[in-house]
Amino acid sequence: MSDLFKIKIVYSQSHTIGPKIIFGILVIFSLILLIQAIMKAKKENRPLLDFKHKHFFIENYDRVKLFGTGILLILYIMTMNLLGFIPAGILFISLFNILYKGSREVKSILISIGIAISETMLVWFIFGYMFGITLP
Amino acid sequence: MIEFGILEGVIALLGVVIGIIFGALPGMTATMAIAIFLPLTYAYDLTTSVYLLLGLYVGGISGGLVPAILMNIPGTPSSVTTGFDGHPMAMKGEGVRALRIGITASLFGGILSLVVLALFTPVLARLAIKFSAVEKFLIILFAMTVIAALSKGKMTKGIFTGFLGVFISLMGVFPDNQTLRLVPSMFSMELRDGFQLLPVLIGLFAFSQLFQEAEKGMRQTMMHTDILKGHQSKKFSFKDFKGQFINMFRSASIGTFMGILPGIGGSAASLLAYSQCKTFSKNPEKLGTGAVEGLVASESANNGLTGGALVPLLSLGIPGDSTTAVLIGAFILQGIQVGPLFITQNPVIWNTILFALLIANIFMFIVMFYPIKYIAKIINIPKNKLYPGIILLCIVGAFSTRSGNMVDVFTLVIFGLVGYIFSKLDLPVTTFLIGFILGRDLEKYFIDSLKGSGGNLSVFFSRPIGLAVWVLIFASLAYAFYDNRKHHKEASL
Repeated sequence: MSDLFKIKIVYSQSHTIGPKIIFGILVIFSLILLIQAIMKAKKENRPLLDFKHKHFFIENYDRVKLFGTGILLILYIMTMNLLGFIPAGILFISLFNILYKGSREVKSILISIGIAISETMLVWFIFGYMFGITLP
Repeated sequence: MIEFGILEGVIALLGVVIGIIFGALPGMTATMAIAIFLPLTYAYDLTTSVYLLLGLYVGGISGGLVPAILMNIPGTPSSVTTGFDGHPMAMKGEGVRALRIGITASLFGGILSLVVLALFTPVLARLAIKFSAVEKFLIILFAMTVIAALSKGKMTKGIFTGFLGVFISLMGVFPDNQTLRLVPSMFSMELRDGFQLLPVLIGLFAFSQLFQEAEKGMRQTMMHTDILKGHQSKKFSFKDFKGQFINMFRSASIGTFMGILPGIGGSAASLLAYSQCKTFSKNPEKLGTGAVEGLVASESANNGLTGGALVPLLSLGIPGDSTTAVLIGAFILQGIQVGPLFITQNPVIWNTILFALLIANIFMFIVMFYPIKYIAKIINIPKNKLYPGIILLCIVGAFSTRSGNMVDVFTLVIFGLVGYIFSKLDLPVTTFLIGFILGRDLEKYFIDSLKGSGGNLSVFFSRPIGLAVWVLIFASLAYAFYDNRKHHKEASL
C-alpha cells in the first residue's frame, strides 16, 4: 500500500516523470470534456458533431482578409532574411495596408505605401539604430 | 532608494500614452500592449523597463473608460460597468464631465491600491521566505487552481488548457539529466530550450487578435455621433465628488482586494463595487441613468485592481490575470525571479516599482484629464491602419528574442493560430499562458520535493505551512466549482 504513495526516481529517466503525469492529467480532462459534450448534446437533442449548425468561421467572414493575412505573413517571414528588414518591411507592410484598406484606387495604394515606408523606417530607427536590437 | 531620471520619466509617459491608446480601442487590451512592447525592454535595464511596463499597464486599464462612456462599449473587461452611468451622462451632453469624473476616480483607485501593495507585499513575502520545495510546489499548484477560478463557466476547459500549457512548457532539455524530451529530432537544435516565452506571449495575445479582426474584415467601431462636440450641458467640477469619498474608498478597496485574489478579474471587481454602491446608495433608482456615484464606483474599483494584482505576483510569483501573467514574463525575460525573495534581493527595483506605479497613475491623470476631448478621438483610429504596424512590431519582437532565430518568428505565428483556434473552440488562452509560465517551476519543485523524501508523496502533507496551502487550494477549488455552477445557471436562464 505504501508503494502507492511512492515514485521511484531513476536519474537517467527523471526527465519523463513530469511529462507522464501531465499527459495523464490531460487524458483525464479530455475524457471529462468529451463526456460533458456528449451530455450537453443529449440534453439539447442534437448530434455530438453538429456540422450543420456550428461553423468554425463567423457568418459572412472576410475570406480575402483572413487568408490573405495568413499567406502574406508566411511570405513575409520566408523572405525577410533574403530581402533584408527595410525592403521586406516596406513591401509587405504596404501589402497588408492595401489588403486591409480594400481599395484599389491609386491614391489609396500610394498612401498605403507611404505609411509602410514611414512605419518601417521608424521601427528600424528605434529598434535597429538607436537600441541596436538585431533585425533581419 | 529609487532609480528615476529624465529617461525613466519619458519612458513612463510613453508607456502610459501607448497603454491608453490600446485600452481605448475596443478589442485591444493592456495585455496586448505589454506583449507587443516587451521587446523594447531589451534595450533597457530592468528598472527603466519597469517604468515602461507599468505605464502600459496603468494606461491600458485606464483607457477602457473612453469607449465605455462614449459608445457604451467597454474598452477593457474591467470597465464593463463604467458605461452603465457614464454613457447616459454622455448622451445628456455631459461626456467631458463623465470622462473627467472617471479619470479622477481612476487616480484615487490607483493610489489606494499602491498603498496596499506597499504594505501587504513585504508581509506576504516574509512568510513565503520560509517555504521549502514542497511549499513552493504547493503554491504553484494553488496558482494552477486559480486557473480553474479564472475560467468563468468553463472550468474543465480552463484546467485542460492550463495543463496543456504546462505540457508545452516541458518541451526541451530537462535540466537535471540534460536529456531532450517532447521535441521531434528534426528540431532538436532549434527547440533545445523549448518555445521561447516572448513569441508565445505575442502570438497568443496579438496575432490571435489579428486573425480575429481579419476574419471580421477589420471593421471599425466608429462613434456614430461626435457627442463631445458642441455645447456641454454640465461641466466637470471637483465638487462632483462631494459626498463620494466613502463610495470611492469602498469601491477602490473592493477593486484592490479582488485584485489580490488571483483569478477573480477586473469585470467581477467593478460589478461587485457597482452593486455595493447600489446597496448603500440613497438614490439607488438613479443608478444606470447617469449617476455620478455609479461611475465613481466602477472606475475607482477597476484601477484599484492594478496595485492589488501585483501583490501575489511580487510576493509569491503568482500571476492573477492575463496582464500580470505577461508582466511576470517580462521579469523572467529580464532575468529576475519574482517570488518571496524578490523584495529582499532587489530592494531598489521594489522601491522603483512602487514609485513607477505612482508616476504612471499621475501621468495617466495628466495625460487624460486635460486633453480628454482629443484623447477620445483615439477610438476612431482605423484598425486597418493600425494592424500592419502591429505586425511589424510583433515580428521584430519575435526575431530579436534570440538575436535572429527564425524558429521564434514561426513560434509567433504558431501560437497566434493556437490563440485563434482556442477562441473558436471557446478555450481560455490566459490559463494556457499561466500553465506555460509556471510549468517548468511546477515540475522542478515536484521533483526536488520527491528527491528530498526518497520519492515519498506523503511529503506534500507533512509540513504545517504545506497543510495551510492545501486549505487554500481546496478553498480556491470550492470557489471555482461554485462560480462555475453560478455561471452555468446564469447561462441557462
